[in-house]
Amino acid sequence: MSDEWAVTAAGLVKRFEDRRVVDGVDLMVPRGAIYGVLGPNGAGKTTTLRMLLGIIEPDEGQRTLLGEDNPRDAGDRVGYLPEERGLYPGMKAREAVAFMGALRGLPWREGRKRAAELLEEAGLGHAVDEKVRKLSKGMAQIVQLLGSVVHRPDLIVLDEPFSGLDPVNQEKLEALIVAERDRGATILFSTHVMAHAERLCDRLAIIAGGKRRFEGTVDDARATLPAHVHYLPHRPDPAIARLLPPDAVAVGNGWRFMLPASGIEPLLVPLIEAGHGIAGLTVERPSLHEAFVRIVGNIGHAPRAETIA
Amino acid sequence: MTRFRRTLRQTLTIARRDFVATVFTPIFLLFLFAPILMGSFGAIGGMGAASMSDGAADKSRLVAIVPATIAPAMIREDDRLRRLFRGDERPPELSIATPSADPAAQARATIDEKQYDIDAVLYGPLDRPTVLLAAPGRYTGNYLEALAQATVAAIRPGATMVTATRITAARTRTSIGGQHQSGFFAVFGIFFLTLFLAGQVVGTMAEERNNKVIEVLAAAVPLEAVFFGKLVGMFGVAVLFVAFWGTVVGQLTTLLPPAAAAAFGDLYPAVGAPMFAVLFAAYFSMAYLLLGSVFLGIGAQASTMREIQMLSLPITLVQVGMFALASAAARLPGSWIATVAEVFPLSSPFAMAGRAANSPELWPHALAILWQGVWVVLFITIGARLFRRGVLQSGSARPFWRRRAKA
Repeated sequence: MSDEWAVTAAGLVKRFEDRRVVDGVDLMVPRGAIYGVLGPNGAGKTTTLRMLLGIIEPDEGQRTLLGEDNPRDAGDRVGYLPEERGLYPGMKAREAVAFMGALRGLPWREGRKRAAELLEEAGLGHAVDEKVRKLSKGMAQIVQLLGSVVHRPDLIVLDEPFSGLDPVNQEKLEALIVAERDRGATILFSTHVMAHAERLCDRLAIIAGGKRRFEGTVDDARATLPAHVHYLPHRPDPAIARLLPPDAVAVGNGWRFMLPASGIEPLLVPLIEAGHGIAGLTVERPSLHEAFVRIVGNIGHAPRAETIA
Repeated sequence: MTRFRRTLRQTLTIARRDFVATVFTPIFLLFLFAPILMGSFGAIGGMGAASMSDGAADKSRLVAIVPATIAPAMIREDDRLRRLFRGDERPPELSIATPSADPAAQARATIDEKQYDIDAVLYGPLDRPTVLLAAPGRYTGNYLEALAQATVAAIRPGATMVTATRITAARTRTSIGGQHQSGFFAVFGIFFLTLFLAGQVVGTMAEERNNKVIEVLAAAVPLEAVFFGKLVGMFGVAVLFVAFWGTVVGQLTTLLPPAAAAAFGDLYPAVGAPMFAVLFAAYFSMAYLLLGSVFLGIGAQASTMREIQMLSLPITLVQVGMFALASAAARLPGSWIATVAEVFPLSSPFAMAGRAANSPELWPHALAILWQGVWVVLFITIGARLFRRGVLQSGSARPFWRRRAKA
């Protein structure tokens, strides 16, 4: 089991005061996968990640990290980028990256060497010896991100890694995540921006109101909503409605309806035989965003309770 | 890698970061030279030293072994001669002892008297007396000789005085006054250093909280290692400070005039000077780590600089309180207050340093250092748990007594 899963969680519960901000979450993150934890603000994503990493202890439930019951025992094989970014402002960029590696067991000398290489690759070669306080917010965020991967961990946990980054750096980060996965690392990240999850995730879980609402692939999530068909005949004719499913509605010169379970083909033959023809036909699959909205629905967002420092 | 080795490595990583971040800043120079501005401590130290010096004078005695028939005349002459001296130049009080069969052996035994520091003993016939001195060159020998002459002159007017024979017999034990002075030196020295240095620790966690670095640390390192690492890092800064000023003061003492240098020669710690130096260093370390671990734990709960500044008063009061307790213990070795000061963890290093000056036994020190070490671990653990529960909000949702009540 431990060989197959990088992270497992069963029935994780965390209460703040008398409120269950995480309420029985189960997670199974396969090794070598990019796994997204999605949810609206205050859904319990960060608290779940903190429990998985052993920063805070769950009130109920069990978790394993890289096969270890105690997350601390896997500490040197884990990299973590917290939601609230934090670096020592007086440290140079290279030192900051090396320091985070040293916390995870990477010797200082090796850490400094790798830090310089990573900063160069990330386009921050000019800032290697700049103090963190002189870096822009985005640059500091990249420095911290590099600090979470400098020791080449088996598991990388990123909490809202894209927030605060400009589109160029977001693209770089996506590339880095894919490169780390290709190196063999498992990536577990949280986000509420669906586009990143849609592009990156091998599997994902959707958490809302402290509970896991969905677990599966991106396609599985999208499949929770039916696809829609947009049909455009050669000529507008109200009689076409008789040949379409009951939910079909006129949209401009065409029609829109849910893709029937039997598929589109059984509909096309009668339409062609009746002389309506096919000027246009589009099958619109739902986006992850739409699936997310449907899954999360009207589940109340818990007010943010977890504060750190 | 074992969990212990990993924790040790992480502790040292944190300590290294804190040491470098503290020492390699311009502010550190201001800190390093701050003692120059601290003349007030000289005043406090001077008052304390004067108090101890008075205590030492109270413990000194002169002894005359003379027959009871001569004693009243000698006491009268002592009273008369004593008036010729100014208050702080008067010789130690005189005690009269009746001669035994062997006055020479009696005199030698008197020098080793444990209750007082006997400076000099006069024995033998008054017209040919012998003065036994605890140390060579003591002016008290002259005084006893003059007293014998005056007494002979009072008993037998016109009698010829023969110069007294002087013998020096070093005590087989250290002087009580010297012990007390050493005790005060140790207690005050550790108080002075920890007052300067241990309070720094209180705000060290604020940096991590303000910069949001704490979550990175908490994810990578057990909080106990974070706390201990910060304590060790700041202790390194303190050692650097002490080493610098120790060297400066050490060099300055070589420039002192002989009379001033001789004052240091009056320090007679019961355990001997080399061991005393070792124990002083050990107890300074333990005092720093004990007070530092408490201050670190309390300071970690503060969320703003204002709260940290508010803590400076109670912190200073705690240190002054420990100093007062340990000073009392050094003045009254073996008393109940000394025992309390030696056992109470926060005053223990101060009081035990005082004990090293007053008592030659070494085993209590091994026990005390172990005891203090246990408390450092305990304070660190409690501080880390309070931080985890209060700041990271990683505890049970409800205190156990409320959970039980609800159940």
